[in-house]
Amino acid sequence: MASEKSWSRNPMGLQLHRILSVFFSLSIVLPLSSPSPTMHNNNWAVLVCTSRFWFNYRHMANTLSLYRTVKRLGIPDERIILMLADDMACNARNNYPAQVFNNENHQLNLYGDNVEVDYRGYQVTVENFLRVLTGRHEASVPRSKRLLSDEGSHILLYMTGHGGNEFLKFQDTEELQSHDLADAVKQMKEKNRFKELLIMVDTCQAATLFSQLQSPGVVAIGSSMKGENSYSHHLDPDVGVSVVDRFTFYTLAFFERLDMYSNASLNSLFTSYDPTLLMSTAYYRMDLYERPLNTVPVTNFFGSVMKTIPTDSAYPGFLVARASEYTTTSAETETARAVLEDEADHSKTHTQSEKGLQHILDEWLKLLEGKFGEKDPDMLVAYGLGSMVLLAISTWLSS
Amino acid sequence: MPELRRYWPIAAAAVLFRLALVLFPGDLNLGSRPEVATPLSSLRRLAEGYWLKQSSLSPYAGSMYHGSPLLLPILGPLIANRIEGRPMYFYCSFLFVIVDFISAILIRATGQKLFISNQQNNKSLKLPGKINLVSNLAKENAGDVASLIYLWNPLTIVTCLGSCTTPIDNLMVILTIYGACSGVAPLAAFGYVMATHLSLYPAILIIPVILLLGHGPDAPPSKLFKRTIRPFSWKPIIYFVVWALIWTFHVLLLCSISLKGVGGLHEMFRKTYGFTLKVEDLSPNIGVLWYFFAEVFEFFRDFFLIVFHVNILFMLLPLAIRLKHRPCFLAFVYVAIVAMLKSYPSVGDSALYLGLLGLFASELADMQFSFFLFFGYIGVTLLSPVMHNLWIWRGTGNSNFYFATGLAYACLQTVLVVESVSSMLKHDRMLKRLVSA
Repeated sequence: MASEKSWSRNPMGLQLHRILSVFFSLSIVLPLSSPSPTMHNNNWAVLVCTSRFWFNYRHMANTLSLYRTVKRLGIPDERIILMLADDMACNARNNYPAQVFNNENHQLNLYGDNVEVDYRGYQVTVENFLRVLTGRHEASVPRSKRLLSDEGSHILLYMTGHGGNEFLKFQDTEELQSHDLADAVKQMKEKNRFKELLIMVDTCQAATLFSQLQSPGVVAIGSSMKGENSYSHHLDPDVGVSVVDRFTFYTLAFFERLDMYSNASLNSLFTSYDPTLLMSTAYYRMDLYERPLNTVPVTNFFGSVMKTIPTDSAYPGFLVARASEYTTTSAETETARAVLEDEADHSKTHTQSEKGLQHILDEWLKLLEGKFGEKDPDMLVAYGLGSMVLLAISTWLSS
Repeated sequence: MPELRRYWPIAAAAVLFRLALVLFPGDLNLGSRPEVATPLSSLRRLAEGYWLKQSSLSPYAGSMYHGSPLLLPILGPLIANRIEGRPMYFYCSFLFVIVDFISAILIRATGQKLFISNQQNNKSLKLPGKINLVSNLAKENAGDVASLIYLWNPLTIVTCLGSCTTPIDNLMVILTIYGACSGVAPLAAFGYVMATHLSLYPAILIIPVILLLGHGPDAPPSKLFKRTIRPFSWKPIIYFVVWALIWTFHVLLLCSISLKGVGGLHEMFRKTYGFTLKVEDLSPNIGVLWYFFAEVFEFFRDFFLIVFHVNILFMLLPLAIRLKHRPCFLAFVYVAIVAMLKSYPSVGDSALYLGLLGLFASELADMQFSFFLFFGYIGVTLLSPVMHNLWIWRGTGNSNFYFATGLAYACLQTVLVVESVSSMLKHDRMLKRLVSA
């Protein structure tokens, strides 16, 4: 009995010995890939209209015009946070129900189909605005209302409404001060929620709103300087109110000539504003921004043009808490494929397990699964299960 | 001997009965009963986990599925194929009928091993002839009786048809006990690793398994023997440990391949063992934890989680010390304690230990309160769905009604464990008196 047992166990013992020797010889730490400078991955737009009531029609038209522009240039609704009081289109005083125009020729209905408002009516508050920027929401807030940017994001922040010296009025009841905005941007930078941020403000004395900013990577432009008012462009006699502001009107005029593939730079946008036409000075601030403005295409902020790299690795799903670090080969040709390594699991296990043995075990498991997992994993798991059951039965039969 | 002829017909009748219920045209809808399907074992949640896995997401996303990723490729495709006019888990039920049948065969084999070792022990003890004859007859059929109890227990039938994965858990536990009783260390290690992987609590079976492998199956206390016929041998235990490591590594490798790119092993441990230990789901079941943790303050939650789980742990050592000469019975007691105090119990767990109880039918013949226990089980089984209906569907009752049946169930299990241990100890004392007389 004993000899029979040892004979039948020898192949198992040999396999075990083999496994152990391979294990100990392969207990090397896989090299961490060095973090590369973050790549620009995605564009977000946060468009805020801070006024309500019928006589502030032009502010809603401003915001909706810019919404239409950024959508036309490629940013999808999932990456636009639109905050509007939304009480114009279906207002009892609107001669053209469910339509919002930004020009008296009524050629463009801004409230057509496909307008997704994320925060409407009384949800447009300073608190919600700051929560959107800093990302500190309650757990029940849905994903569509969150700014889910990461360290590779370029964010366009456009605000319009009534403002003054170092403040912006929100819905006639509260105000956002310039140091609040600077603090929110500082928090965003701490949490790596943006790579670059463009702030565009169309209110009276707009340039004072971003006077307190200190975070790097921010470029800001306002429609007027301290002591100046910003003016509306023209009155629409049919609708009965002014339908667009001058600064936004000339911004839209600049963008109507462009499409997704244009190379127009930020510098050309900023220098296109004529103080005599605007009746105010469009002041911009680029001291916090490293790159020269004539090298930055406007589609970096107002559109969404990205280089796509095909990859072989699986989609990591909901569990990648931070963005992964990618190592890319230099993609000169269109057909060059980059090898992307998902660092999320790797970094997680590294931060949690400092103990050597568990670390080695994790590394070795990862090595094995890397070698085996290239084949179809489901078939592999099925084979593994079947072989396990067969092995168990064979050990029972051989005893 | 006389019962053996009638064993196979009765067992076959049980299997045919289950098949008839599976092919029953109506839908018994047992999978929606909280006593049968728990958040850990429900097949509905497994179907959700399988669908998520097929969509290249983690099967644990959305906190529906909390079981092992290895069950997904086995049971998932069986659920996905639907045919018209049949309940959803039609093919799975066939698999569970087979699994139940294998469990019953293994219980019978365990009973036979116990009987053989009992014979040898009685011979070496040189007990007076009369006692030998009586106990001989009874113990021959212990395995058969236990197997038939397991097959015909209405709780087992409900578990088999109730679209939950508990039959597989039970099979693994029975496989562990059988492997340890027959001394086949790789098989015991396989059953142990799989049982612990599928649900966390069978990990405590390491103690009876080590005792079984070291000493051998149940025997009267060793001081009754004139010379030590059962020295504690370490060799099978070393084999067991080595094989357990091999199986563990294999299982972890398969799990990490299966969950590659969707979170890996860390996520699996957090969502399966973490979920079990932290009692995150407070939907009512036949246990006692949900009611308490629904009202405990957050500040004390961790403390009470530790208390409830240590409640299982602190009973292990005294029982092991007192019953170390009867490791198979010790395994039964551990299984019963776990079935009472685990975070999401179901009637499948009680089906397991009621089957194992039959193995010791002759030693426990003098158990007190057996009438109370028998009718108590019937009463709780009938009243619990009624109270659930009153609470949830009619609204004329509240959660206290349902929890009352849960408390009564826990009380019954406590009485069962206490009485069975005390009657086993009485049996040992009787043997001691007979030997020294």
